[in-house]
Amino acid sequence: MAKVKTHYEDCDVLVVGGGMAGTGATFEARHWGRDLKIICVEKANIDRSGAVAQGLYAINCYMGMQWDENQPEDHVRYARNDLMGLVREDLGYDMARHVDSTVHMFDEWGLPMMKNEKTGRYLREGKWQIMIHGESFKPIVAEAAKKSADKIYNRIMITHLLMDESKENRVGGAVGFNMRTGDYHVFRAKAVIVAAGGASHIFKPRAVGEGMGRTWYAPWSNGSAYALPIAVGAKMTQMENRIVLTRFKDGYGPVGAYFLHLKTYTQNANGENYEKKWYNQTKEIVGEYIDHHPVPTCLRNHAFIQEVAAGGGPIQMVTTEAFQDPHLETVGWENFLGMTVGQAVVWASQNIDPKYTNPELTTSEPYVMGSHATCSGAWVSGPEDLSPPEYFWGYNRMLTVDGLFGAGDTVGGSAHKFSSGSFTEGRLAAKAAVKYIEDQKAENIKVTDKQCEDFKETIYKPLENYTVGRNEITGGTVSPSYILPIQGLQRLQKIMDEYVGGVGVNYMTNENLLKRGLDLLNILQEDLEHIGAEDYHQLMRAWELKHRALTSQCVTEHTMFREETRWPGYYYRGDHMKLDDENWHCLTLSRRDPKTGKFTMEKVPVYHIVDDEKKKKAS
Amino acid sequence: MLSTNPFSILAETVSPIFLQWFVIVMVILVAVGTLLDIIYKKNVKYFFENAKKAKLSATKTLSTGEKISVISKTIVSDIATTSELGAGKRRVAHLLGMYGTILFWIGSVIMIFCYSTPSSDTPNVWPIIWHAGAIMTVLGGSWFWFFLRVDVYSEAQPWYRIIKADLFVLALLASALFGLIWSFLQSLNLNNRWDDKLFLILFIISNIVLFGGVYWSKFAHMLYKPGAAIQKNLAEADGSRDNLPPPADAPKQYGLGIDREKAKHY
Amino acid sequence: MSTFVYMTRCDGCGHCVDICPSDIMHIDETIRRAKNIEPNFCWECYACVKACPNHAIDVRGYADFAPMGHSVRVRREEEKGTISWKIKFRNGKEKNFVSPITTKPWGKFIPKLAEGEKPNQEEINSQRLYLEPEGLNTKKELPTVPKESFKKGVYY
Repeated sequence: MAKVKTHYEDCDVLVVGGGMAGTGATFEARHWGRDLKIICVEKANIDRSGAVAQGLYAINCYMGMQWDENQPEDHVRYARNDLMGLVREDLGYDMARHVDSTVHMFDEWGLPMMKNEKTGRYLREGKWQIMIHGESFKPIVAEAAKKSADKIYNRIMITHLLMDESKENRVGGAVGFNMRTGDYHVFRAKAVIVAAGGASHIFKPRAVGEGMGRTWYAPWSNGSAYALPIAVGAKMTQMENRIVLTRFKDGYGPVGAYFLHLKTYTQNANGENYEKKWYNQTKEIVGEYIDHHPVPTCLRNHAFIQEVAAGGGPIQMVTTEAFQDPHLETVGWENFLGMTVGQAVVWASQNIDPKYTNPELTTSEPYVMGSHATCSGAWVSGPEDLSPPEYFWGYNRMLTVDGLFGAGDTVGGSAHKFSSGSFTEGRLAAKAAVKYIEDQKAENIKVTDKQCEDFKETIYKPLENYTVGRNEITGGTVSPSYILPIQGLQRLQKIMDEYVGGVGVNYMTNENLLKRGLDLLNILQEDLEHIGAEDYHQLMRAWELKHRALTSQCVTEHTMFREETRWPGYYYRGDHMKLDDENWHCLTLSRRDPKTGKFTMEKVPVYHIVDDEKKKKAS
Repeated sequence: MLSTNPFSILAETVSPIFLQWFVIVMVILVAVGTLLDIIYKKNVKYFFENAKKAKLSATKTLSTGEKISVISKTIVSDIATTSELGAGKRRVAHLLGMYGTILFWIGSVIMIFCYSTPSSDTPNVWPIIWHAGAIMTVLGGSWFWFFLRVDVYSEAQPWYRIIKADLFVLALLASALFGLIWSFLQSLNLNNRWDDKLFLILFIISNIVLFGGVYWSKFAHMLYKPGAAIQKNLAEADGSRDNLPPPADAPKQYGLGIDREKAKHY
Repeated sequence: MSTFVYMTRCDGCGHCVDICPSDIMHIDETIRRAKNIEPNFCWECYACVKACPNHAIDVRGYADFAPMGHSVRVRREEEKGTISWKIKFRNGKEKNFVSPITTKPWGKFIPKLAEGEKPNQEEINSQRLYLEPEGLNTKKELPTVPKESFKKGVYY
């Protein structure tokens, strides 16, 4: 390899990741920090990067406060209920009270929002969701970020955060490499907002050939949102709260519009409404939570999984009734074309016309992310006016590392954000990051050349491993001295699948399995020192894998720590098959020591800032 | 120098028959290379089978007159102006190279077959066309080589990286460049100085590589692309359109979004 | 699944290489045209398909589960603000859809915040974000919850 060029960039606010949260942060930062240098660094191309690459057909988080449709406290109750009681209600309320202004901006910018012809309001898909023609959602918000930023860097993968060497536990920037030029990039910053991707591909997907690519959550979400903060000792929360989704088979196409707008419903292969059959069994596990309305997502999954395991599959979505209406048929197809084109491809290839055939559903492999019906992520401070003292340490959305902020999938405890909520959380983090800087909290940060040089060597090592190791063999992919990124990834996925509750074991795990899983993950981590990359693209894959592996270790530690089955349908603790509110009505926290690599776990209290509402009807 | 016919000067030492046979051999090499390409890769078989299959989705049958009109438009626009490349540097560079090469080759053939004796009275226009063609080829080709090759532009590969796909453009560039240098040095009457014959030899070799490498290079694509363009436009006209949806029936009122930027974001 | 590139249509412009979120569209070294180098990391997001000026990219559903003979093709027209889809089933059935992709000229109504009015100290100290509380359209202040109502629900 030719000598690698290093580029230094000094800035004030560094946004890592240019997805929904990253664009929100970059956009808003300019308003509060007029004279600050704002940089956004994106692994791909900001115009189509992130989970919204293909577009979205609905904005799943909109209160509609202007029409008295919902209030933020309603959303807190909803998210809390869906997550079986365990969310950060302060973060959820904070996001919900601002999200409407975000959505109104999207409308103003040109995002086509469907309107209810009678009322003139945004067309509701469900209680929280409004329907959009969002094929170009990402390019539109990307443009907003471009107009605010001093510079957007594309095709640079951030692999590590830099830490201040003069003051302990304070962030100093980030480093990464450009996968086109191969250059090394050092960003020294006063505040860093991590708005990277959550984790797909840490569990073995259901399709393992070409079909590996068709994960529900984007395959390029490699857990940088977690690995970057974990590596510098930031505390993480609820990492055991992985999400499993019930979606259309193989394509993982969305079902939201189907349930809510088309009013379709599920049935087993014998035409029965199977969910009712599992009520008693579910109640034995989770008690009164099964009686909540709406039924929490995981419990609906649970009934599905049990029914399939009992031989009632395949489970189908009854579409033949709804699709007779041409308008609903159009919505049913466009729902995919604007959001998950792959599902349309699957149906076209298998001659499935929902007008005449009821398509199959399936439960996906687990994913770890923070913006959907799940809330894994970093432990952050809430806003001053909403947070109990235990949840507030100076700046909204700041992690337990000074100057390090998070938004979107990065942040734990704030569930059901989706696109608009993640963009909103980015805005919140940006305002707080600017305040942090203006409060002079980021003065005299010291990042030495040595720290940067050390990282440079680490980052490019896989190329070295390959070049040198390649001399040992004649050719091919099998080498005794290095592993290729895909080989390491498949090993990681098999470990997580078999030991930490993937589809292969029907989402079941226990302490014995988790302990063995941790052992195997440790061995994998050792082997990742010998990962070999042939070119810069492979180098990117290598670092994606490294981030995934670190995230997986954290997930496994958390899964072992929580000794109960809180979310049947997401995963099961075979050795603790009940929900245990007495001991576990709390959030889990972990911290990985950057020097030793050891995880320490603790419980933290859940604060209910919004009370229960009396008997609310199902949404 | 630009109006001096280099071949007639060369004819003082090399018999014109050799020059003419060289040209004929080059043409044969192209024909053989292309034929081998077609026979072994079965690309023409694929092309016509595919065109037949596509016609099944046609929504209307084109009359002979309509077909002729589409083909003429394709020749005038797609082929003659390389419209496929859109507006921008790539198209300009390609046109420079394309017309440069055409002029260079026509000039070569005319001068070698009609004015190749030492006593020929070559009308000035032919050497001027020859030199101008070579210069255009060098300009367009090197512009492409250093700046516009997509692996250099979009993938940030270094300009000095040579891949199999470069065989055609490098050989063409070399042939035009060496031809020019040879013509220039020859006009200086250097007698037996070391570089007197060097560039002539390099010119000959680059032409052999260019025309002999047809089976391995992108040379034959020059011949296939017009056919592809005609098929594409006929498919657009008869409604089959390669299974693409038709252009939407809506006014152009929103300007450009992602498309307004160049394809280079790193 | 995955994307693939038609030999007769690709002219090596690099738009797909530039836009792919997965970094899997690259240039073939023999013919200098685009190809998908890692189909198992292709999400079928269609970013490259939409970006190609010559409609040279198409998709063939994942071989693991998608039989052959289907076609889902798209035409994204920025100036018209439309996206058009043509779906062809393996059995020949066809469906066509056209949707809007924008309601405003691209970028025209997206503000350059550097040129807007600067926030005052009161706004900076508040919980409000840009354009709030007016942007909520509620004619009210930003909602909040009184701290007295906080209830600790923890079981240590």
